[in-house]
Amino acid sequence: MSLPVQQGTTSLLDRAGTGRTLDAYVVGVVFLKDGLLAAALGDGRVAFVNSESINSPSFVSVHDGACLSLVVDLGEQRVLTGGDDARLVSTGTDGETTEIAAIAGRWVEPIAASRASGLCAAVFGKTVSLFAQDGRAVGTFDHANTVGGLAFHPKGRRIAAAHYGGVSLWWAKQSTQEPKRLSWSGSHLSLTWSPDGKYIVTAMQENELHGWRVSDGADMRMSGYPTKVKSMSWLPKGRYLATAGAESVVCWPFHGKGGPVGKAPLDLGRGFEGVVTVVAAHPRHDVVAAGYEDGATILVQIDRDHTILVKRPGKGAVTALAWSADGQHLALGTESGLVGRISLSDWRTPS
Amino acid sequence: MNQIPVTVLTGYLGAGKTTLLNRILTEEHGKKYAVVVNEFGEIGIDNDLVVNADEEVFEMNNGCICCTVRGDLIRILGGLMKRQGSFDGILIETTGLADPAPVAQTFFVDEDVRRRTWLDSIVTVVDARHVVRRLEDSHEALEQIAFADVILLNKTDLVPADELAQVETRIRSINATAVIHRTQRCEVGIDTVLGRRAFDLDRILAIEPDFLSEDDHEHDDAVKSVCLRTDRPLDGARLTEWLQRLLVERGQDFLRTKGILSFAGQDKQYVIQAVHMLMEGTFTKPWNPNENRESRLVFIGRNIDELELRQQFDACIA
Repeated sequence: MSLPVQQGTTSLLDRAGTGRTLDAYVVGVVFLKDGLLAAALGDGRVAFVNSESINSPSFVSVHDGACLSLVVDLGEQRVLTGGDDARLVSTGTDGETTEIAAIAGRWVEPIAASRASGLCAAVFGKTVSLFAQDGRAVGTFDHANTVGGLAFHPKGRRIAAAHYGGVSLWWAKQSTQEPKRLSWSGSHLSLTWSPDGKYIVTAMQENELHGWRVSDGADMRMSGYPTKVKSMSWLPKGRYLATAGAESVVCWPFHGKGGPVGKAPLDLGRGFEGVVTVVAAHPRHDVVAAGYEDGATILVQIDRDHTILVKRPGKGAVTALAWSADGQHLALGTESGLVGRISLSDWRTPS
Repeated sequence: MNQIPVTVLTGYLGAGKTTLLNRILTEEHGKKYAVVVNEFGEIGIDNDLVVNADEEVFEMNNGCICCTVRGDLIRILGGLMKRQGSFDGILIETTGLADPAPVAQTFFVDEDVRRRTWLDSIVTVVDARHVVRRLEDSHEALEQIAFADVILLNKTDLVPADELAQVETRIRSINATAVIHRTQRCEVGIDTVLGRRAFDLDRILAIEPDFLSEDDHEHDDAVKSVCLRTDRPLDGARLTEWLQRLLVERGQDFLRTKGILSFAGQDKQYVIQAVHMLMEGTFTKPWNPNENRESRLVFIGRNIDELELRQQFDACIA
């Protein structure tokens, strides 16, 4: 059952959250240690917000242009951002910035960090560059086309890059190698690796997902979306892959034999206007946060399709969602610059 | 979110594209542009954002063999939208050897691009001295003229007047709807190039009917324009069905198709636009009660049998 958005419906943001506009497109939000929230913005700034100070965020001017990508740095005390100024920069909460790398004319997106291997990776056009935690460059992998998606294997030993024609798999710590190719015609725009390492899924230009079983390269197609899928997120233990791109939260079953092949996805959170733009699965429970193009944000419980309103429509499409590592806090960002954080410490899985 | 106008600059090697681009960027117009170029170097403008692109042409898996898009543009336009309000328009310079179809098709195929931008016009710079020879030996030079909404016939100071007239006639036989400006060193007012909304077809109404069809009997792969017209209202369903079938079957030969049509029982103009087999049609403004509701449909392409098209078009009269 979906909760209809009516006048007077209180959202979690109204009840248990705070929000303010930062006057620029919110490219991404992440939680650092101690509940600190960082937002990367379309005007090149990074904003840091602690739980008390959403009304007085501290801003750091990082990129000359727009931030394009954001991840938590390995120590969880800093953020890494890529910009359209062709720079990859590490920024501390005190405002200190360190340029990790720059390649003239190359936009820096996406980036990925692997705590398991102590490596970070960033895409500079057709090149994936690997960095150690101290910012030292430790490898580069070149591709024939621009890399759109990037993810480490959960253990960090391999890295997968999505591009036109499929995916290239590289060993992270091997200097000379030919990548293993997973081929499928078309343009692959983003990529995710399942938490158990068995599956790779890409989002394609053609409003569909393509998946491979890594062990044997078996293909799987997941189609039927009305728009491009811009966001994918694995539920705990990789049981489901939650996806944006439809008018509901489409969750593909990956537990059991054969993954999603021959199975229908769950179709949750119906009843809202427009298309889901961002999804973020809760780190511990079978709950997905989903943001819509009209700005509405919900939490939906996988097995019950029980929906809770997090944010009412407005302030532009939702562009970013993130959970704190303990799952107690949810952050969101929108196209028009709203950043919100919600505390769920007193919220329990509805029974 | 406001839609941002996009102008595509094409032209064969050495025609003067970069000269035009620099002219646009240095003129005092109080506007800021994001410029998508293929190589850095010749452009050095502080106030504008220059983005390096790689012209990555991708085939779409939509069962349409000629449907290619510029993957790099989709990504760049998406990225630029994050810099809200920091520029007024986008200029895309293509390489001299580029076929303009993938650029134009990108604006039909990709929903995000369509939602956030509109294709204002395709501007093609032509070297008046060399164009006739280029048209003989270069597929791309021909396509660039066929796709243009605005053509700068450049370097006119280097060509005698009678030869220039012949060149213009040749260009006109390929593309009957483009606006042609004769220039030296690409000296034109910026407003003749930008903010044209030329892709929205008003030009079709200005076609000189007699100008067409006089240059048809060339070799088989000649690109030419054919304009069909009628004063009688058309059967909307029959016409769109015919066009869709025609473009699916013959889309590789038909480079651009544009039309302003009057349907029986409809007060509004029906406007169609197609690039190869990608077509879209919408009802736009109402016909003026005092105006002659003449439907016009223009095809620019190869191997076009005008008589056959005319018969099929006439069969769509209500």
